[in-house]
Amino acid sequence: MRYVVGYTANARGHDAVHLAVALARNHDVSLDLVLVIPEDSPFNAVYPPEAGYNDILNEQAQRWLDEGLALVPDDVTARAHIRRGDSEAQTLIEAAVEMDAAALVIGATNSGLLKRFTIGSVAGSLLHSSPVPVALAPHGYHRTEPITRLSCGFGTRPGADELLDVAVESARDRGLPLRLVSLLALDGGNSPGLADAAWVHAADRLAAVGSSARADGSTDAAGAAGSAADAAGSAADVPEPEIVVAQGRTIEEAVDRLDWEDGEILLIGSSRLAQQRATFLGTTANRILRALPVPMIVVPRDYKRQNS
Amino acid sequence: MSTAPKTVQSKETSLSEKGLKAGSVGLIGAVVIGVSCIAPAYTLTAALGPTVSEVGVHLPAIFLVGFIPMLLVALGYRELNNAMPDAGTSFTWATRAFGPWIGWMGGWGLIAATIIVLSNLAAVAVDFFYLMLAQIFSNPELGELSKILPLNIATTLVFIALACWISYRGMETTKGVQYVLVAFQLLVLGWFAVSAFAHVANGTAFDATAISPDWFNPFAVDSFSSFAAGVSLSIFIYWGWDVTLTMNEETKNPEKTPGRAATITVLVIVIIYMTVALATLSFAGVGETGLGAGNPENQSSIFAVLAGPVMGPFAILMSLAILSSSAASLQSTFVSPARTMLAMGHYRAISPKFGKISPTYKSPSFATIAAAIAAAGFYVITRTVSENALWDTITALGMMICFYYGITALACVWYFRAEAFRGARAFFFKFLAPLVGGVILLVMFVKTAMDSMDPEYGSGSSVGGVGLVFVLGMGVILLGVVVMLVMYRLRPEFFKGKVLTRA
Repeated sequence: MRYVVGYTANARGHDAVHLAVALARNHDVSLDLVLVIPEDSPFNAVYPPEAGYNDILNEQAQRWLDEGLALVPDDVTARAHIRRGDSEAQTLIEAAVEMDAAALVIGATNSGLLKRFTIGSVAGSLLHSSPVPVALAPHGYHRTEPITRLSCGFGTRPGADELLDVAVESARDRGLPLRLVSLLALDGGNSPGLADAAWVHAADRLAAVGSSARADGSTDAAGAAGSAADAAGSAADVPEPEIVVAQGRTIEEAVDRLDWEDGEILLIGSSRLAQQRATFLGTTANRILRALPVPMIVVPRDYKRQNS
Repeated sequence: MSTAPKTVQSKETSLSEKGLKAGSVGLIGAVVIGVSCIAPAYTLTAALGPTVSEVGVHLPAIFLVGFIPMLLVALGYRELNNAMPDAGTSFTWATRAFGPWIGWMGGWGLIAATIIVLSNLAAVAVDFFYLMLAQIFSNPELGELSKILPLNIATTLVFIALACWISYRGMETTKGVQYVLVAFQLLVLGWFAVSAFAHVANGTAFDATAISPDWFNPFAVDSFSSFAAGVSLSIFIYWGWDVTLTMNEETKNPEKTPGRAATITVLVIVIIYMTVALATLSFAGVGETGLGAGNPENQSSIFAVLAGPVMGPFAILMSLAILSSSAASLQSTFVSPARTMLAMGHYRAISPKFGKISPTYKSPSFATIAAAIAAAGFYVITRTVSENALWDTITALGMMICFYYGITALACVWYFRAEAFRGARAFFFKFLAPLVGGVILLVMFVKTAMDSMDPEYGSGSSVGGVGLVFVLGMGVILLGVVVMLVMYRLRPEFFKGKVLTRA
C-alpha cells in the first residue's frame, strides 16, 4: 500500500511526515512525499519576461524534499516527487489517485497567525473534495512510533455503518484495539437516557457490522460468536472493541473529556452533505478537529477500503 | 526495507522551461498577454502628457519612432532569453557578457525600473480610485482627496502592500480576468477617441485642432533634447510588448504564434495609441491653459482631466479601466523585481536572504517584501520632494529603461560576437539590431540625463538647483554603485567571477 504525503518544507509538512511514518509502521506501507509547486499562468503577464525561475524553484524543491526524506527513518520506504499544479489540494488528489494511494497524509494546521484555531487552506480544500481518506496531523505532531489505538467517531447518521466497516477492518489488519466513540453535546440539562441510547445504538451497529463481516465469509471471524463486541474483534489477539460515550456541553468539551492515548488516531466519516460536495468535513467533525489532541483520518462517504 | 532517497520529477503535465503549461496559449491569448503587459490605458494616461510637453503636436511621430529602438532591443532580448534562460535576465546576461560589475548594474537598473513603475502604478491607481469615488457619488470633493498628501501617501502604501501580499501568496490573474481587463481597456480607449472626434465634428471640442501631416514628422521636433526625451518616454509606452517575442513552448504553435502575436500586438497598440493621441490633440490642442494637452496641470494624468469633458457621464468607465489595469499590472509587476533579486541572491551578488523561497507559497518571500518596501520608499520620497511626482517618476522611469535595456542589448552583441557573422540571420538578430537599438537607448539615456540636470526639466521640480529627474535617475544609479561596492566588500566571490563566469 502507498500513502501520499502532502509535503511542504515547514512545520505543517513535518507534522505530516511524522504521522505518515507512524501509520506506515503499523502496516506494510510505503510513503510518497509529494511537493507541489505552482504552475504559473501565462496570463499573469509577468514582465519583464524571464525563463529561469522555474529552475531555481525546482532546485529548491529538490532540497526541500531531501530534507523531507531525511525525516523518514530507515525502516520505512519513501520516495519523493515534485508535482506542478495550480491548486495544491487538487494536485495532491491527482497524485493520490494516480499512485493508487490508500490515504493522503497532510498537516492540518495553518501556518498563519491564527494557526491554533483554523485549518490550513490546503487541508480545508482536501477535506471537501478528496476521494481517498485524508489523515490530518495535528500541529506539532512529533511521534513516529506505530499507532497504538484506533478510535472511530460514531453517530447515527447515514454512512455510519460503512465507516464502522472501515474501522473494524483497519483495526483488524493492523492488530489495533478499536474504540467506538460517540460524542454528545448536551446543551444545558444532562440526559443520561441519551447517553445510554447512544451506547445501545453503537453496540447494535457493531453487532450488525460484525455479522455482515462474517456473512461475507471472512475466515478469521469464524471462531467468534456471541456478543456484538466479540463478533467484530475477530482476530484472536485483538481485544474487544470498547464503546465510549463522551458528553460535554459542547463537542469540544466532550472531546476534551475523553482520554486519548499518545499513539491514538481518530477515524471519522465525512459529512452527510458530502454528496453535494459543499461540505465534506461537517461542522461537527470540524469542531472535533479543533479540539482533538491526536491525528484524525477523515474517510470519504461510501469509501471502500483497499485490500493490501 | 529502506530505499535510497530519490526525488522524482513527475511529468504528468508537459511544461515549458518557464514552468508554464505548454501549448496553453493561442494567438489571441498571446496578444491579450502582450496588450496587458503594455497596459495601454495606464501607459497613455501616464505618458501622454509628459510626451506632449516635450514634443507638442509631434506626439504621433514620436510614438511611431519610439517603437524602433524597442523592436531592435527586443530582438536581442529574445536571442539572450533563448540562449540563456535565467531568472536574472539582464543581470545574468550582462554578467556573462561583460563581467560582474556591469552585470550587477544591469540587474540594478532592471530592479530600479520595475520598482519605479510599481510606485507609479500604485499612484495612478490611487488617483483613479478617488476619481472613481467622486464619479460614483457625484461628489468632486472625493476626487480632491487624492491631492491631500498624507492621505495620498497612506492610500498608495495600502495599494502597494495589498499587491505585495497577493503576489507573495502566489495568486495570479487568470485567463478570463485578463481577457476582460484587456477588452475593457481597448473598448474604453476607443470610446474616448470616438467621443473626442465627435466633439471636434460637432464644434464642442475644447480647442479643435486640425490634424496635419506635420504631426507625423519626427524631424520636425524642435530640438534633439526634446526628441531624446520623447523617445525615452515612448520606450516606456511600448515596455511590455516584447513579452510576446519571448513566448515559446507555452504557445500552441511555438513556430508561428510568438511572431504573429508580436505583430498583431504592436498593430493593435500603435492603432490605439495613434487614435487616442490624435483624438486628444484634436480635441484639446496643445495650449497651456484649461484643458489643453500642453497645460502642465493636465500632463501628469491626462485622462483624469479629459475623460470627463470628452466622455461625459461615461468617464467613470475610463476610471474603472485605468484602475483595473493598473491594479492588475501592479500585482504582476511585483513578480519581476522579486525574481531578479532572487536570482541575484541565488548567485550571491546580494545577500542570499533575497534567494529565499517561501515553503508555503513557493514565491520569492524576502525579495517580494523588499520590492514592496523599495517601491513604497521611492514613492514617499518622490511625492514629498516633487511638485508633480507622477510626471517625474515617469520621466525617471524612461531613463532607467533606456539604461538597463541599453546594457542588455549591448550584452547581446558582445555575448554573441563569435557567432554574429555566421549567416545573415545571426548577423541581424544577434548583432545589428541589438547594437543599433542599444546604442540609440544609451544615447537617449545620456542625453536625457544631461538635460534633466536643468531645474526646469520635466515638471520643474528641483533639489539644490539640480532637476529632480536627474536626482532621481542618477541617485538611483549612484545608490546602485554604492550598494555594489558594499557587496563587493561583503561577498567578493561574485565580483571575482567565481559564481557566474564570463562566457
